[in-house]
Amino acid sequence: MTVDWKSLDAPHTYLYTGPMSCAGERINRFALSLKIPANRLAFLAAPRAYFSNYSLTPAEMDLIERRDWTGLMQAGGHLQAILKIAATVGESLWHIGAHCAGMSVEQMKSACPRRRDGLPPGFP
Amino acid sequence: MAQIVGGFGISHSPSMGTEYDRGMAGRFDPRWQLWFDGLQPVKAWLAAARPDHIVIIYNDHLNHFTFDAYPTFALGVAERFPQADEGWGPRQIPELRGDPAFGWHMCEQLVRQEFDLTVCQQMRVDHGIYSWMPYLFDGPWNIPVLPLAVNMLRFPLPSPQRLQKLGVAIRNAVAAWGAGRVVVIATGGMSHQISGARFGMANEELDRRFLDRLGPDLERLVAIPQQELIRAGGTDAVELTMWYAMRAALADEVEKVYDYYTFPQITGCGVVVFEPARHSTAQR
Repeated sequence: MTVDWKSLDAPHTYLYTGPMSCAGERINRFALSLKIPANRLAFLAAPRAYFSNYSLTPAEMDLIERRDWTGLMQAGGHLQAILKIAATVGESLWHIGAHCAGMSVEQMKSACPRRRDGLPPGFP
Repeated sequence: MAQIVGGFGISHSPSMGTEYDRGMAGRFDPRWQLWFDGLQPVKAWLAAARPDHIVIIYNDHLNHFTFDAYPTFALGVAERFPQADEGWGPRQIPELRGDPAFGWHMCEQLVRQEFDLTVCQQMRVDHGIYSWMPYLFDGPWNIPVLPLAVNMLRFPLPSPQRLQKLGVAIRNAVAAWGAGRVVVIATGGMSHQISGARFGMANEELDRRFLDRLGPDLERLVAIPQQELIRAGGTDAVELTMWYAMRAALADEVEKVYDYYTFPQITGCGVVVFEPARHSTAQR
């Protein structure tokens, strides 16, 4: 993927807005439920049964089961919530970042820090 | 009247906390050892500052608050602020204490200055504070803290100008408290982005210049739109705007006591310590 380092638009950057927050309400509520250890176990034991508590759509369930971190973000999931899903299934922030950038975790780890220069206009 | 004796801005990250725990078990990653060593002068400065109260401007990461009710500004008024379980279980570190009498005083004064805060009598605190706290204070942590959470997760965010005004309001509120020494801390940033294809970006030029200019050039920094800070430093660099509140709380003019910068992993990690300038009005 060619990265536009100045872009504030998807897929380069996700600025989390109110409408995204409404679109992602089910995903975020499901994801944040996984902060509780018993819920993590229940989800891992029977994902589909656990999903039924959160009114997730079939498309949302599919994104979660495929660990499509980028798709979850585009569907309104907040990174900080998606991180709880990743942690529960044994993945990390690196997996999310690598998925967003279209590279492997190892590639991302060796690419970081991805250094850029430049100051905002008017910076003292 | 109580006196603000100084303050600092400091980065936070989940790995800063977990890597501290590894370090204390004798397995410090060399990249985090640098950060640990770089913070030792801040730890010494804090001990010498002898604060009676610590005001901390920070942001939660959906670990206490959820989008069911997400406050723009929230003040924790409680006797203790337990660690939030972020999904990996609690860490073996002390618990933050609070002083409700001081908290209600600050609440009263801030609301009077038109900051209509959400008041939380229960507030679990995440790595926003717990990640750097053990680097700077030996336990038990008996100095009461006053956590003030700011929305940095979902637009609209409070503007840079609003955060500057919050700082001034904190300064006035502290001045109206009977006596004692107060340190003001802001935490967040520095350059980083943890989502999207720009994941992992780092802008050391921006970070170092920010540490250098926050003292003398607050007005010019505040004038920079948050989107432009995000464009140059990544989505999560916007957390630096919380440092404006700390800077504005201290005094019109400050002296930089110390700064340090390194880039251990995904987040630029920086710290800058200020004291009110000796001739400044806040020290009169």
